Amino acid sequence: MSKEIKGYRQQPGKLPFAKPGSGGREPFSKLRDLEMIPESEGGKRPQPKGKNRHDHLLTGSSVGKRTPLVDSNWKVTGQAKYGDDIRIPNELIGRILRSPHHYARIRSIDTSEAEAIPGVLAIETGQQHTDLFGVLPVTKDEHAMAVDKVRHVGDLVACVAAENEATALEALRKIKVDYEILKPIHNMKKSLDNVEEPIHDRGKYHIGQSNVQKRVFQEFGNFEGMKKPHASSKEKWKFAGVNHGFTEPHAVVANWEPSGRLTLYTPQQVPHYVHRSLADVLKIPMHQINVHRTFVGGGFGGKSDPFPHEMCAAILARKTGRPVRITFDRDEVFYTNRGRHPSQIEMNVHVDDNARICGIETDALIDGGAFASFGHVTTYYNGVLHTAPYEIGSFHYTGARVWTNKPASGAMRGHGAVNSRCAVELGIDDICTQLEVDPISFRLANLLPPHSSTITGFRITSIGMRECLERVREACDWEQKFRKLPLGHGIGIGCGFFISGSGLPIHWDPNKFPHATVHLKIDMDGGVTIHTGAADIGQGSDTVVAQSVSEVLGVPIEMIRVKSRDSDTSPVDLGSYSSRVTFMNANAAISAAIEIREELLKATAEICNVSKDSLVIGDRRIYQKKDPAVGVSYLEALHKAQEDRGALVSSGAYRTPPMGGVHKGAAAGLAPAYSFSAYAAEVKVDPETGITKVIKVWAAHDCGRALNPLSVEGQIIGSCHMGLGQVLTEEMKYGRNGSLLNPNLLDYKIPTVHEMPEVVPIIVESNDPEGPFGAKEAGEGPLLPILPAVCNAVYDAIGIRTNELPITPDKLYKQIEKKMKVLDIKSPLDLPNPTLEHSELQKTLDERTIQHRNRDQERKLNTEREPYYNGTLFGKVSTIPPEEQDENWTLSVTPSEEYLTKPRLAGSAWKHQEVRYMKKGDDA
Amino acid sequence: MKTPPFKLFQPTTIEEAIEISSGFIQNNEQFDWIAGGTDLLPNYKWHLNTKPNVISLALIEDLFHLDSNHIGAMVRLHDLANFEDTHSIIRKAAASIASVLIRQSGTVGGNIALDTRCFWYNQAEEWRRSIDWCHKCDCDTSADCRVIANQNELCVATYQADLAPSLMVLNAQIHLCGPDGSRNMPLSEFFELDGIKRNVLKQGEIITHLTISEDANNWKGDYQKLSLRDSWDFPEAGVAAAWRYSAQSPDDGLDLRIATTALESIPRLHDNITNDALINKSTIDEIAIKLRLDVKPVNNTTFPPNYRKKMVEVLCKKALDGLKGELT
Repeated sequence: MSKEIKGYRQQPGKLPFAKPGSGGREPFSKLRDLEMIPESEGGKRPQPKGKNRHDHLLTGSSVGKRTPLVDSNWKVTGQAKYGDDIRIPNELIGRILRSPHHYARIRSIDTSEAEAIPGVLAIETGQQHTDLFGVLPVTKDEHAMAVDKVRHVGDLVACVAAENEATALEALRKIKVDYEILKPIHNMKKSLDNVEEPIHDRGKYHIGQSNVQKRVFQEFGNFEGMKKPHASSKEKWKFAGVNHGFTEPHAVVANWEPSGRLTLYTPQQVPHYVHRSLADVLKIPMHQINVHRTFVGGGFGGKSDPFPHEMCAAILARKTGRPVRITFDRDEVFYTNRGRHPSQIEMNVHVDDNARICGIETDALIDGGAFASFGHVTTYYNGVLHTAPYEIGSFHYTGARVWTNKPASGAMRGHGAVNSRCAVELGIDDICTQLEVDPISFRLANLLPPHSSTITGFRITSIGMRECLERVREACDWEQKFRKLPLGHGIGIGCGFFISGSGLPIHWDPNKFPHATVHLKIDMDGGVTIHTGAADIGQGSDTVVAQSVSEVLGVPIEMIRVKSRDSDTSPVDLGSYSSRVTFMNANAAISAAIEIREELLKATAEICNVSKDSLVIGDRRIYQKKDPAVGVSYLEALHKAQEDRGALVSSGAYRTPPMGGVHKGAAAGLAPAYSFSAYAAEVKVDPETGITKVIKVWAAHDCGRALNPLSVEGQIIGSCHMGLGQVLTEEMKYGRNGSLLNPNLLDYKIPTVHEMPEVVPIIVESNDPEGPFGAKEAGEGPLLPILPAVCNAVYDAIGIRTNELPITPDKLYKQIEKKMKVLDIKSPLDLPNPTLEHSELQKTLDERTIQHRNRDQERKLNTEREPYYNGTLFGKVSTIPPEEQDENWTLSVTPSEEYLTKPRLAGSAWKHQEVRYMKKGDDA
Repeated sequence: MKTPPFKLFQPTTIEEAIEISSGFIQNNEQFDWIAGGTDLLPNYKWHLNTKPNVISLALIEDLFHLDSNHIGAMVRLHDLANFEDTHSIIRKAAASIASVLIRQSGTVGGNIALDTRCFWYNQAEEWRRSIDWCHKCDCDTSADCRVIANQNELCVATYQADLAPSLMVLNAQIHLCGPDGSRNMPLSEFFELDGIKRNVLKQGEIITHLTISEDANNWKGDYQKLSLRDSWDFPEAGVAAAWRYSAQSPDDGLDLRIATTALESIPRLHDNITNDALINKSTIDEIAIKLRLDVKPVNNTTFPPNYRKKMVEVLCKKALDGLKGELT
């Protein structure tokens, strides 16, 4: 069939050219599996949640199938190369000198004695590298090494490159640093005050003379209802800081290659930010740097900042002309931290006489440690990420992030949402106890519908919250257990809500550059090469991108190879944070694959002389839908498409649709879709010791569509483990002098296999209209509900509602003793066991639930649906924004004078004036 | 984190081992013994009291013997826990130590002679520098104790090993061998109240084995451990109790022993309390309260001392559960 190329003459009798490629490990093409094709496309897969924009692309190849991660064989055979596995000939070992003081000014550093040690090749200090960097462009406050001040024990002071580790360590001991000790601050409350020497100086943007790094004020809604609530829950919480506890400590290798360019090998979640920061600090253009992402031995948010030690490795390598490898000890990982912020949160939840949540008032003071990291965003997330999934009458949030002389807090799985979510879910449980109603019924009767707008203007698309709650209730046998188990045995519920990709690409204008770009290349062999900058950190991003392309092109997954390691070959990508990869990269991959798909269809149409629209793609074969005998193999179509041009290449991109409000901070928490989850946890608490054991968890998560159910389940179970650590055992403990007492994995208590309960993952598929094949995130959201579910179960077990995490036995026992004293009972075994007799309100809730269930189903299926704004439940017209119909509707992002006369804790950060507005003498 | 270099010696007999140690003593050279290494090596990595010479006991066959009355110092904790003839109280305690992997390496002798622990001691070198050193390891620095300020007299680091109390309540004898010959004593007399000195072992002396009398089988009892996690963690408090009925006992024929661990610098047998209890016919609750008042934990482990103290009472009640009905 193929066209002879002019100018080339075949020898008489010579065999035709062999066809390259075979089409995967399975030699023969199979017919399309109609069970995987949606009904609307002529298949048998039911669509109870309606259609998806990618339905016509489904070929039944790999989406929705339990798929082992494409890089798993490297890991299980020990061939995966993590940061410290990179060995380049002639390498040097780098080590870092760290501050022994919490806060001090560096007067001088004398490296002469250390430099004289044979085998020491370079020693660098901060003096020569004064350019600032940081993960967020608005808060760059880090140096490669301390320039003038050290800000916490473990802060970087100098770095050494030597022939081996022992020599490098010896050199560190010989570096003499003269410090002037400054007065450190460890208590986050004290950081709200003006001090002589704030930990950072932000110039005209500095807030007073204080250590407040970021403050947020938000008021939305009609506050009339909140003034006279029917019931209220008010609690002051304390959350300890926790660390990610990933297996692989930070490690980096820097090599200035013979080309004169730098390659940095690093286990990074966000190679692109490192790329930018290296260019800043080293003062060389980005095109002279290749950032190579190694395998990542766990990140969870802890490897998403550009790090000083990465700068140090590059600096040392440039100075010595030899590759430099730096690998951290575990204590250095704790000093680098970026874990969840220690927080003090005041959470007030109010409901009206109709059991509607008429107000949530949150005040969150979060301890950022010594640097900004992602903190700007965290400060917003502590508020805005609990404005859903419930419809609320009003929302008041004050948040402040302060600097203290501790290792920096940052982003950690469930970024910013976890602590306040726990507090709000306990508030709801408390209110349900007061109202004598079932907490699941209460939640079911207060949910936002699909395709609605939250009180702060987030655009909710799909929402599987209702199904999550209903399925969990059934699976755990809730009706038989809740408030009916004996003393010391309890069950509890908790919900979660999380972004599926941050709507704002921090470093550029979303109108100009896409969030994610994916390139494809297919040559004669038929294998598909994907170039993406999405960082596989173990969550399976390579797999999800491979699955998406495999699905669209109808080829098995082993014909796909993902090249995602080098910034030299990957399109720019924001990396793995904010649970964006599946949503954004798979969407970009699908659009790249659509381009190739079109070429293949066109070629097939030409070969078979049929209309392109009559064709479908199956397993390595493209054929007429009504007559599968008419068609060609994938390779034939490919080779036809390749004629005259060689390899097929395409590029696909994803950008979020325009959305959200225009108020200050409106972009924080904005996402193209949101995930929802509901967990029930069953616990046993020993009232005599306060020891809590979680015995079983039922975990329902709405991930839109499980592209790979195997990894979604893995994420749910892993999230449970991680969340259980925070709720029961994990805590970064600081001694009375501010020292971190447990920077090691013996004393930092991650739950072991003995503490891990059975987890029953329940995947809920709400089919997001914009998600890739309907998918949303499953990496972070599943962590949120486990904390409140366990806390609420502890209440069900012994009638004690905690307000401090982790609920270590000593803390719980203290509360038990307190309760015994109040009730005047002698033995903890005589504690009263909570019971429940439904009040009249239960009926109201049940009736409303039925109405809302119908409302939600209608909105799911009706593509001509009208808008729905938060506030409808309180009698507003659903289709008009509440601020346009209620003159008492507040929308404010700065506090009033009146508020400032009696601010709450974090709110008091607003008493300061920013320096740029200050007249001399103000704010003294 | 790098283990500092040391010279390793691997004698095959007790005599040879003592000869090596005697040589070091004569030459005024410092050395350590190593058994399973699960305590020593992490400490070395943290540069805690490292020595240039280390004598391994791993090749001395005589130290591995295990039967119902004789427990060699080099018997692995895993083997002790899984040996049918081991007394049930000891088995329970042995099986609760650290993790299954550590029990495969860790030994009985190593557990008995476990270094005392403290938040301000079990830390990396740089960390200790940040608190201006710890006097348990950085001796020449004259650092102050961080747990109880202004006292450098007595180190209050906590003894956090599980085996000792169970062995004590079964009246185990500990056998030592050193340059000055062999000696033995009840295990309860082996420990010395100081987190640095820890026990009576003289320089160059090793634990060879423990013996348990034939009569141990007449004793019943229990070991109760408090820890945050069910694996890996050192005990935050541990109570062992054992009792028997015999003709020689006073009154109704009940003998009772209780020992505690992880509450002070040494494990302790609380004979004063049990003798008193038997004479006064105390109830379990009364004994438990007395035990709580008899221990003095300090703030240098995971749980706060007041909680550990209160839990001693609970653990004691749980350990004596088998006597319910007898002592009410």
